[in-house]
Amino acid sequence: MGTRFELVIAAGSNASRSPRDLRAAGEAAIEEIEEWHRRLTRFAPDSLVSHINRTAAKEAVRLDEDTWGLVLDALQVWRDSRGAFDITVAPLMPQRGFADSAVPASGASVGSGGLVLDPAARTIRFGAGRVSVDLGGIAKGHAIDCAAAVLRRHGVGHAFLHGGTSSGCAIGRAPDGRPWRVALDPAGTNVLDLADEAYALSDPGSQTTPAGAAHIVDPRSCMGVADRLNNPAGRSVVSGPSARVADAWSTALTVLGVVPPAFPQTYTARWISP
Amino acid sequence: MIKPPHGRRTFLTHTMGALTGVALWPSPAAVWPTLQGAPVRIGLIGAGRQGRAILTELQKTPQVEVAAVCDVLGGRVESARARAQSAELFTDHRALLEKRADISAVIVATPTHHHRAIVEDVIAAGRHVFCESPLASTIDDCQALVARATGVKTVCHAGFQGRSNPTYRRAQTLVRTELRDLVSLGGQWHRKTTWRVPATTGELDRAANWRLDAEVSTGLAGEVGAQQFDVAHWLRGRYPVRVTGRGAIRLHKDGRTVPDTIELDLVWDDDVVMRYQATLANSNGGQVEVVHGINGSLRLAWTHGWLFKEADAPEQGWEVYATRQPVLNQEGIVLIANATQLAEQGQLQEGAGLPHPPLYYALMDFLKSVAENAPVACSFAEGARASTVGILANQAITTGRAVEIPALA
Repeated sequence: MGTRFELVIAAGSNASRSPRDLRAAGEAAIEEIEEWHRRLTRFAPDSLVSHINRTAAKEAVRLDEDTWGLVLDALQVWRDSRGAFDITVAPLMPQRGFADSAVPASGASVGSGGLVLDPAARTIRFGAGRVSVDLGGIAKGHAIDCAAAVLRRHGVGHAFLHGGTSSGCAIGRAPDGRPWRVALDPAGTNVLDLADEAYALSDPGSQTTPAGAAHIVDPRSCMGVADRLNNPAGRSVVSGPSARVADAWSTALTVLGVVPPAFPQTYTARWISP
Repeated sequence: MIKPPHGRRTFLTHTMGALTGVALWPSPAAVWPTLQGAPVRIGLIGAGRQGRAILTELQKTPQVEVAAVCDVLGGRVESARARAQSAELFTDHRALLEKRADISAVIVATPTHHHRAIVEDVIAAGRHVFCESPLASTIDDCQALVARATGVKTVCHAGFQGRSNPTYRRAQTLVRTELRDLVSLGGQWHRKTTWRVPATTGELDRAANWRLDAEVSTGLAGEVGAQQFDVAHWLRGRYPVRVTGRGAIRLHKDGRTVPDTIELDLVWDDDVVMRYQATLANSNGGQVEVVHGINGSLRLAWTHGWLFKEADAPEQGWEVYATRQPVLNQEGIVLIANATQLAEQGQLQEGAGLPHPPLYYALMDFLKSVAENAPVACSFAEGARASTVGILANQAITTGRAVEIPALA
């Protein structure tokens, strides 16, 4: 996922587990993240995403329960944000100077309406017109959710994990009993206090090509968000139960610049000035 | 001058015909295997991390239905259901075999020291079996499984993946045609991890961490090395005759006795040596095998492979079509089967690795044996030989003495 994941497990606050067991649980969580990276990257030809992009135009592809849930969440955010978040944006990335997928996406069209899901068979298929799936806007949050589930399953009650600082999850509280505190800017002016909660931050200026093209694209206009003359909101931060939903919504809000009526009530949105 | 339409290789393919490209690389069937015949109903025994990886790969093949999953731990088998929607769940493999007579093939992915008992039950029940590598943790168990598989009409496949890997199959022919006389072999498996897993509810720590239990574990040599030693046996067509080695605990001083770092020399009867390193204390370089010949070298990294030619080696006609990549300050010829055609079809960027993980190809070989009567890619006899080399390599480490490897039938 092109970023560094870090994990803190508070040994003293997880008294029922020995430090040796907690380290093993931490390694299991990191392995979970590595596995999801291998499955969801569009840059490796042997990933699940590459398999979908090669196959789904010809035949339906079966998905496991976790990936199925991931796709459902992605499409829910696509609908609720009226297309501001879209997992079919891959064709736009090489046009903007970013690397193409292992299964080349150039020539494909953009629009999650081109995805056909069969809930009974739990399959995904590409409908009329060629599309290409890119889960990069939600994969990091999904991996964090899965890793947090691994930690909880192994009895870890106090931990914090993040991917590249822009997505993360707090399990329980910090060792001092207070919520885990996340500074949202270098000065620590804006902070998030989290206990059993996830967050995601979206910053259109965080990744750019040498030519200055931003990695967040408005799927509706095919324009980069930072290319717009006035990005009224700057960075968006979403917190709530799931890191993957927060991840998708933080991207959508950065594109939209406002919180739409369909934004889920169990999540909180805030803005940080550029 | 006519300008090539897309690039030099594309131009050559177009103007000189695809036949040369086809002759150069194995057919797409090797890279994109398909399954003919009736659907295969599968049972999986062992739903740990490897079992879940197997379910992920099986899901790609529409003709496969995972009808049952078994694990002694109920929590683990429940979590496996996420990757096998319609599977019936069991905590006793004998119950699975008795109740689900409709299951024709069983995959065994339990801890190694449980393989023998379970696989014998599967064979006795008349089912096809894929046993994860290594085949067993003792030489007696290896031989018992070979004896049990002898003469049965069902498929008995040992899960040594190198033999099914299209890139490695391509490499096998190049060992003969390009490298010529062998100079040496090498291999490494580097991964920084404790190799410890957290016990799940109802599980004893010792059972969960069987790889760190010297009474049942064959250590890094047996559990991961055997898979790579088998690549060397298979590429060479012969087995080593002697092994020396040493092991140490370099990082994980947590009371374990199984070394976290090993070094081995496997010696063949022509004095060619494979030097092998494995460690849980450093991740640099990952998993790789190298083969050095007088005319060139092969570097094999499971989903990728490269050929490096010596400057004085004769240039072959097919090299015109080859994809090249910089690897470790050298230019390597990429061993990706049918790369030109795949790139032409827009299915694969040039120079990329295999479109599926190596495990997928091993499972597809097994399924093709079951559904299409295809030859078994790795028999129990071959799996037992490879496992025995791993067991004896571990013995060389634990005793500190050279161990002779008997001629393996």
